[in-house]
Amino acid sequence: MAVLDEISKAIIEGEDVKILTLTKAALDASVPAKEILDNALVLGIQKVGDLFERGEYFLPELVMAGNAMTRALELLEPILAKGDTPYVGKFLIGTVKDDVHDIGKNIFVMMLKGNGWKVTDLGVDIPPEEFCSMIEKGDFNVLGLSSLLTMTMARSAETIDALKAGGLRDKVKIMVGGAPVTQQWADKVGADGYAADAPAAVKVAASLVGKS
Amino acid sequence: MQRLTGLERILKAVNRQEPDMVPTLEIDIEPDVINGIRPGLSYADFCEYMDLDAICYFDMKGKKYEVVDEAKHIARDEWGALRRFTPATPHNPVPWEPAVKSEKDLTNLVAPDPDLAFRYREIEQAVKTYKGKRAVIATVMDPFNTVKDSIRGEVNIYMDMIKRPDFVDQLNEIARDYHMKYVKSCIDLGVDIIWVTGDYAITKGPMVSPRFTERFLTPGLKQIAQYCHSRGVPCLKHTDGNIWPIFDLLVETGIDAIHPIDPTAGMDLGEAKEKYGDKLCLIGGVDCGALLSWGTTEEVREGVKDAIRKAGEGGGYICASSNSIHNAVKPENYVEMVKAIRDYGKYPLSLT
Repeated sequence: MAVLDEISKAIIEGEDVKILTLTKAALDASVPAKEILDNALVLGIQKVGDLFERGEYFLPELVMAGNAMTRALELLEPILAKGDTPYVGKFLIGTVKDDVHDIGKNIFVMMLKGNGWKVTDLGVDIPPEEFCSMIEKGDFNVLGLSSLLTMTMARSAETIDALKAGGLRDKVKIMVGGAPVTQQWADKVGADGYAADAPAAVKVAASLVGKS
Repeated sequence: MQRLTGLERILKAVNRQEPDMVPTLEIDIEPDVINGIRPGLSYADFCEYMDLDAICYFDMKGKKYEVVDEAKHIARDEWGALRRFTPATPHNPVPWEPAVKSEKDLTNLVAPDPDLAFRYREIEQAVKTYKGKRAVIATVMDPFNTVKDSIRGEVNIYMDMIKRPDFVDQLNEIARDYHMKYVKSCIDLGVDIIWVTGDYAITKGPMVSPRFTERFLTPGLKQIAQYCHSRGVPCLKHTDGNIWPIFDLLVETGIDAIHPIDPTAGMDLGEAKEKYGDKLCLIGGVDCGALLSWGTTEEVREGVKDAIRKAGEGGGYICASSNSIHNAVKPENYVEMVKAIRDYGKYPLSLT
């Protein structure tokens, strides 16, 4: 469908004004919101992720694409919320205690939403007990722990330990990420998933819920 | 070879020559590590105690903050931006809200006064105490990073690069003017070297494309490097991340050395030496993540040996951590690192 291709293209090109017009036009033409999400937004943001992975896109292009996608999601989300559209999964995320960096996390959150996840973003400086309480109360499939500093990586490990101590570890898959984090470290602290950047992390998240 | 002073050793390495031994320095050493080795020593006294070849003065420590929210540790910096302090970033608070949230805010932007005396007190003292013995280095934030972190904010500046490039040029110019004045004052006071901090890359690669790097990032660095050279002072550059795609652009700015050749971002010191060792001095090489934080002292010695083996031959190398000696580094590992640099770093090198 031409309009879906154009919406997808607007994401790839980071056109935040044009995408609003196109998404409205698609909805006015009775294209289901779910179809716009699956066949325009997801395809567009996945292409952006591929371009980033290949080193053709950088942070400005990623931010512009994420911004365009957010604009479209603002129109689609109220409609999607009314229906019984299945999400890929439910993702809980936050930057760990003593760390307030969030640009990488925010890009990841935008990409998760664009890929059909329901995301609860707790923000920054989140203590282990808050993550534990959310996991205990909620039905999240994946927990993402973000830390940008070597010092605060230890807080991710402490959060995983707190989940274990509370008998909650097996309730959720855990991903760790952030500049100093490595696969080796993720294995060491017993995380289920790790990725070096947001586009790669979206693929890992999907694989953790068997939807890769 | 006759034993050189720390200053001579650093200058030889920066000029890509072979000193008496591989020099060592750190851009920053956090208090937990100092207190774990010699409790209560100041940073400068600690450099003296460890016999490091240089003393670096972080410009971030010469800044004023006005507390806005005590509970959340949020303060206003001198550009008018809000920054948030955390235990992990006591001198480099995380950007929280930029000074220029929209183009109209630009009219209210007032640059800090570069001439305030308090900024230079520690540098003056260091020049008086160490001049001629150890290299006295003043760090200065890259103008682009001041624009990104304080003036405009990271997300905004990336969007500006695409939507309103002239506005980015305008902001860069304002930041550059401030930083150039700071650099001039530091050199007037007698510092031996200027070290420009502020990242151009993340783990995956450059933050912005090589085209944008050349347009928006490197011009400020080039201007500082040219000015330093006109005063006979070397100019070093720090940037985390994977800089392979922009390495040539960094070389073209005329900088004399690059730090820290970030191993967690896939930068290999040996490859950097092979490709750029004839153009730049390399600084770094000892992983301050897993190795210095959780490794054993034996592993640290091996790490130092490996770094010197990769980059030490022929000089042009300063052995240092792959970023800084942050609070998570085991004190005994840092002691072992410096000891190993002295043990294995004597020229001519005889590493097996």
